[in-house]
Amino acid sequence: MTNRIKSLLDRTFDKEQAKFRRDVDWKPLLERFVAEGIGDEARARIGLEEMLKSERPEFMDGERIAFLRTVKQIPDLHTDAEMDARRAAGTAFGEKGVVFNLTADFAPTIRDGLGARLAEIDARLAELKGRQDGGSPSQGCSNWESRRLAGDDAESIEFLENARLSVEAVLGLVERYRAEAEKRGLADIAATLAHVPLNGARTFREALQSLRILHYAMWCEGEYHCGLGRIDQYLFPYYDADIKAGRLTDETALEELEEFFIACNRDSDLYIGVQQGDNGQSVMLGGVTRDGKPAFNDLSRLCLKACGELKLVDPKINLRVDKSTPLEIYELGTELTAKGIGFPQYANDDVVIPALERWGYETEDARDYSVAACWEFIVPGCGMDINNIDAVSFVGSLDAALRNLTQRRRDAEVSFEDVKAEFKTEVQRRADALVEKYRHVEILPGPFVSVISTDCIKKARDISKGAKYNNFGIHGTGIAVAVDSLASVRELVFEKKLVTLPELVSLLDSDFAGRDDVRAAAKAAPKMGNADARADDLAKWLIDFWGHAFDGKRNDRGGIFRPGTGSAMYYIWHTRDVPASADGRLKGEPLSANYAPSLDVPVKGPVSVVRSFTEPDLGQVCNGGPLTIEIHDSAFAMPDGVEKVAHLVKFFIERGGHQMQINTINRDTLLDAQAHPERHRHLIVRVWGWSGYFIELDKPYQDQIIKRVEL
Amino acid sequence: MIGRIFEIREFTLHDGPGVRTTVFFKGCPLRCAWCHNPEGQSAEIETMVRKGGEKVVCGRDISATELADELATNADIMNESGGGVTFSGGEPLAQAQFLLEVIPLLKARGIRLAIETSGYAPASEYRAVVSQLDFVYQDVKLLDAEAFKRWTGGDLSVVQENISWLRKSGVPYSFRVPLIPGVNDDATSRGAFAAFAAGSKIEYLPYNTAAGSKYPMLGRVYSLEGI
Repeated sequence: MTNRIKSLLDRTFDKEQAKFRRDVDWKPLLERFVAEGIGDEARARIGLEEMLKSERPEFMDGERIAFLRTVKQIPDLHTDAEMDARRAAGTAFGEKGVVFNLTADFAPTIRDGLGARLAEIDARLAELKGRQDGGSPSQGCSNWESRRLAGDDAESIEFLENARLSVEAVLGLVERYRAEAEKRGLADIAATLAHVPLNGARTFREALQSLRILHYAMWCEGEYHCGLGRIDQYLFPYYDADIKAGRLTDETALEELEEFFIACNRDSDLYIGVQQGDNGQSVMLGGVTRDGKPAFNDLSRLCLKACGELKLVDPKINLRVDKSTPLEIYELGTELTAKGIGFPQYANDDVVIPALERWGYETEDARDYSVAACWEFIVPGCGMDINNIDAVSFVGSLDAALRNLTQRRRDAEVSFEDVKAEFKTEVQRRADALVEKYRHVEILPGPFVSVISTDCIKKARDISKGAKYNNFGIHGTGIAVAVDSLASVRELVFEKKLVTLPELVSLLDSDFAGRDDVRAAAKAAPKMGNADARADDLAKWLIDFWGHAFDGKRNDRGGIFRPGTGSAMYYIWHTRDVPASADGRLKGEPLSANYAPSLDVPVKGPVSVVRSFTEPDLGQVCNGGPLTIEIHDSAFAMPDGVEKVAHLVKFFIERGGHQMQINTINRDTLLDAQAHPERHRHLIVRVWGWSGYFIELDKPYQDQIIKRVEL
Repeated sequence: MIGRIFEIREFTLHDGPGVRTTVFFKGCPLRCAWCHNPEGQSAEIETMVRKGGEKVVCGRDISATELADELATNADIMNESGGGVTFSGGEPLAQAQFLLEVIPLLKARGIRLAIETSGYAPASEYRAVVSQLDFVYQDVKLLDAEAFKRWTGGDLSVVQENISWLRKSGVPYSFRVPLIPGVNDDATSRGAFAAFAAGSKIEYLPYNTAAGSKYPMLGRVYSLEGI
């Protein structure tokens, strides 16, 4: 790392950039929107314009890739009352309602410049306006049809005009940055901004600067969890050309990339999700190209290196692998794991690509997949998927099923098969309810993000109105706790006959009061993660039906519902809704995050965990949701620790695992960090699908990590 | 034949190359003062009492076939990663006849085998077992017979005879020296160890500061407390 980068890194980590920030009260703008009855698209465009106008060009000493946030707040575009009224009228929204969890199609605009997008917009506008003014609807159209077409055209024109203004707003701030840079004698930056993003990038630096601005503008428009996608693919041509022309060496290219990575951390504390660090700035490395050729390249390598040197939580590194990936690439990945930053998260092309194809993604698109914010598989540029729209609680479902069964069949003989059937029915009932709830979802528009997404200008429609893919993802939480509980019910109630089902249900309400023997037996029952068929068979059965719970169901955008094994924050939220569970977990004890062994269960070791968790056919649940394991940091004290852990990941992939993330932790360090946060400012942990600073997490999230099984 | 073990640990990192499983045999003829696996010393099944009062039975009997089957569960990843199984303990050679039954069962599945041993075993048994293995971690604790007797209770010549054979056996090996403050970690001892190794591979294991932690759970006192 060069001294310049080291200095930028330290000052960014210490939030020196915060000194440029100020508060802006956006209430008057919102009041104006309401008073004037301004429509959604115009609000989004005006919000962006006002936001960017309020921004002041500022620079950190020594930087060459500019743009930082000086306004803390992004304008609210709708009042709560407006949103509530829409909900009351039957419209559902995903989270805040705006475009989120999306990765734009950055490549064409980096290549051609925003000027090219403006030209396209103008051409479409001319075409549509020509049709409105002089043209007559084609022969044979009914009056109704021609009115509809005219209405469509008006909507198209409105979109294109807003889109044009949003691009101009971005270019306006770029020009102010350029002029200010020139004034301050920052010739490098001024020269770069004189060219991009208006024009296509000619160098690696220009490409990075262009990407930085496009990404920055998305956040300013109100989008969040904005992914960066396959940067090693779409930035490669610039890197490669610079290297070949001798403009860059691997050292100078690394320096530029590191500066870009640092820039991703500059404003990220303003991009808050459920927890600090949950900001969705994901990148995806490696994999295959759209035509199926191996894609891991020198820039992928450089990205891993930059991430390892900087040890920052952004961008979030994902790595695509498959059964042909050599051990060396796993070792490069594991070197990051060894640094304790929770990167990379692995995704398996052999499982994910066919799964996306089965779900209707075209083969070339499926090969181009990335992750949304955490681990939801998406295709950058052409998807308006909402991949985390809700979750089904398996633990809650099992609890309800046990109660239903004991109530309804009080006197009858009940078998374990009845328990399974009732559980399956309950999960299906909840899945169906979500389909109903999210059949009609509205997304609030984003004219600028539409400009940098595939085909929105051509179709003259905002991306929020629908893209090539409009699927919704549903998480499934507490898989391991549910499976362990089922295994425990089978053993305690039906095999050992230690308790009856009604007795067990009442023990769940009392936290096993007075029956330590039952709780001990529940704890000793088979657990997922021990390569024990008595639990793993139940997991297989669960994934088999969960993977098809939404078959044939569509939302009214024509999209499907995709089940997954992720939990997002629901592993904390769903804990609040359930009493103790049959696996011996007491009320309030957290569920495991994502696809991971239950907390504090004795497992033989990571090989057995991988074996258990790859028994199910995970191609059925490719909304995503990684096997999450914790390796004790002492594993990397031995020189061959990296190689061993790399073999473990490879083993997971070869056995058909879909996705995996690894935390390198030490429980003692985490406890010390809770007691003395000031000593652990750099301590990074993998939370549910992203890496964050441990001391910035709320305590329930910290405690959950401390209780995870160290392997 | 039935053997007695006290733990099978997956993905051990200090017991040889690749992804390995280590099986800990119960019972040891030595009583090293610094032993960090005191539950491996007695050949009897014991009950350990954890801090919270939780009781853990330590030791279980297992047949050679069962043990081989259990260890071979992970044969796929062991073989792919150049790993295998390591016999540890306690002293695995204290159950040499049992080992001689287990070894061919594992070798038949292509699993590579290593041992961690004090070398405190009759020469015939040492040779019979070691000659079938892929790697040996041979402990070298002390080089002076009197000190060896005092700190481990054993007769150094037994170990030395086995090491002499090992050097010529053609079986790959590494010496391992547990460094114990005040016992064998002074400059003179280190020099002597290096001379003893005479060019063979030798690893020094730093003193495990948590070595005494399991003694109270067995109702015993750790004699080196606080060193």
